[in-house]
Amino acid sequence: MTRFGYDERSAALLVFPVLAVLLVVAAFPIIYSFWVSLHDIVLTRPLRRPFVGFDNYFRIFDDARFWTAVARTTVYTLVCVVATTFLAVLVALLLNEVFPGQRLLSALLLVPWATPSVVNGLMWKWIYDPTYGLLNGLLVQVGLLERYRVWLGDPDITLLLIANAAIWKQMPLAALLMIVTMKAIPEDLYRAARVDGANIWQRFVHVTLPALRPGLMLVLVYETMISIRHFDLFLIMTQGGPGDASFTLSWLIYVETFRSLRFGTGAAMSYVLAITTFALSWAVIRFLGKRI
Amino acid sequence: MTSPAKSFSRRTAAAGAASAAMMLGAGPAALAQPAGAVNFIGWSAAVDQVRAQISAFQAATGIAVNYENFPWAQYRTALVTRLVANAPIDCSWISDAWLPEFAEAGWLADISDVSALTRYNAETTAYCTQSMVYNAKQYGLAYYGDHMSFMVNTDMLARAGITTPPTTWEEVVEQSLRMKQQGVAEFPLLLSLAADTWLIEFVSALNFSFGGRFVDDAGNAVMADANRGAVRAARFLREAIHTHRILSPGAVETGEINGLRAFGSGAHAFAIVPTYRIRALNDPAQSSAAGKIRLALMPKGGPSGTHETCGWIRFWGMTPGAKADRARRERTLRFIEFFGGRDTAGNYSMQKLLLTDMGLPSCAVPLAQDPEVVQFWQRWAGGGAVVAEQSGLARKKDVISPWFGEWVETSNQAWQNICLGRAEPEAAMRAAGAKWTELKRAFR
Repeated sequence: MTRFGYDERSAALLVFPVLAVLLVVAAFPIIYSFWVSLHDIVLTRPLRRPFVGFDNYFRIFDDARFWTAVARTTVYTLVCVVATTFLAVLVALLLNEVFPGQRLLSALLLVPWATPSVVNGLMWKWIYDPTYGLLNGLLVQVGLLERYRVWLGDPDITLLLIANAAIWKQMPLAALLMIVTMKAIPEDLYRAARVDGANIWQRFVHVTLPALRPGLMLVLVYETMISIRHFDLFLIMTQGGPGDASFTLSWLIYVETFRSLRFGTGAAMSYVLAITTFALSWAVIRFLGKRI
Repeated sequence: MTSPAKSFSRRTAAAGAASAAMMLGAGPAALAQPAGAVNFIGWSAAVDQVRAQISAFQAATGIAVNYENFPWAQYRTALVTRLVANAPIDCSWISDAWLPEFAEAGWLADISDVSALTRYNAETTAYCTQSMVYNAKQYGLAYYGDHMSFMVNTDMLARAGITTPPTTWEEVVEQSLRMKQQGVAEFPLLLSLAADTWLIEFVSALNFSFGGRFVDDAGNAVMADANRGAVRAARFLREAIHTHRILSPGAVETGEINGLRAFGSGAHAFAIVPTYRIRALNDPAQSSAAGKIRLALMPKGGPSGTHETCGWIRFWGMTPGAKADRARRERTLRFIEFFGGRDTAGNYSMQKLLLTDMGLPSCAVPLAQDPEVVQFWQRWAGGGAVVAEQSGLARKKDVISPWFGEWVETSNQAWQNICLGRAEPEAAMRAAGAKWTELKRAFR
């Protein structure tokens, strides 16, 4: 008597190539990078790579830069996630209505999302430029500024300006997900609410918002995962500066790994970031999932 | 670093002519040399000039060359990963800043015993040779050597009624304030202080001109020392931005290239710029301030100030793998000599090409007398006297060490925090000094 029939064996055989590829391209790097994180590997000292166990993890928690980066990343992620979600809901509410030009507006909405990240970063860097930037030009012309000012070079607002560039790019996809969720809300619910005398605000709070929870959960999880790991905008716009004003976890990992060439601590930091991302996503799903 | 020259067709033609001349000069014997490839990696600078010279080299020697290049910003990482993976590299461009760590890692071959290359030391400026030496061993042949120069926009000075460029930083402040009052410039002084690979050269130049040092001769951090450290230079920067307002607070987000553009636009009267940029700055096709930019000696700062500046060198380095294999060694040495020394016709053709096409100053002493070189400096800088004098006052970065790559991240943040007014100069330099000491101890 065999445990697996012909169908099961055939299925296993067909799945095997994909499984093998996944093992090589996904599982191996994950396992190997964890192994690297347990060693003190500095590329410029190729002859020594001692096994240090979890010392790299302890070391990064003792590193002041790490906690600075955690603080910056927290602020950045919060701003990005909250603003993106809020704006996405507003845009979705607008585009869920029927009005002339609605289709064109929906199509245009996707332009920022389709813009490559590097282009987005460069574009906003130019917009914020202190000498020839569009933002300065605009604000001076409308009389809101007397003279050109420094934007990205101001450490008090750098993080917010980078977040703005990220929100501009990320919001369209979030809005699209919200629109899809809104389209699934039965019209009967609104009719019933109207019969009960609910005004527009009450209909939004008691009908739309509860029905948006699946979409909201998706957007919150996705935006959290994306924002916490953002790197490209920081590379292009500020390189972690000025000073340490935009020194986020992703930037710290880049500096540690590719500038200081400390692959051991860089890998350990990457694991901390990955675990944090998973934990946050799990928390969002658990918190909102219960209410769906 | 440098951008490729525009005159590709001229380069190609030059390469063809050079190749033909070499072939005629070297004869069939050279072409009959055993074939084999030299694997060379450089950063994406002077690409057309390098290709032209490679063509000439191949024509003269029959040795093939595999040439790869990477952008400067990613170059060190790209090269290190290849070296770690034992990629078959024979020769590469190396920055003086990486020499100790590369030498300690065993990625560079000591060429002190290679007379075919060391004989050029007699014709190389001492500063350049010293920059290729680590622990009494020489690791390469010069590609180019340059230094930070103090440049002035003579037109703006004239408009403010200033006839003599400043010789001290105090005079820079004084003249800048005058220009501000007269509306000649909002921020007369331009410094590129973005936290990129150039920042250490800019602040080193400033520091040296204030008579300061980051580390002493024994390699101990003295940067926080109020008298001989970098504190005076740091204070000057902070005051220039926040007190005198002669330097834009946007300097912290101004990279070297953007700084160059801003200075070329004619918006600033004074700037610290790599010398090789003088050609672009005085080229009407690239700069609206063309013809108005002149070199002056680095101003002195404070009571122990000097006209010293920061110099640096890039050089041709050979890998130990290439040195260990006789055939590879032979090919690579010929290649390095052809580019970093004299070609088969006995000329410093590459060094001259780099100067005349790109403005990259050469380390080869004999070239200084070359009529074309003299003409070059006359045309683009109004003469070569200041360049020569400043070059003699150039010091290599005193922070070059096996831990430089790590330390410079902390240093960059410290300088930016000073410029932002977020850290006191003394405290910021103490933090940078502490990091230096920590890394130095860890290296042992």
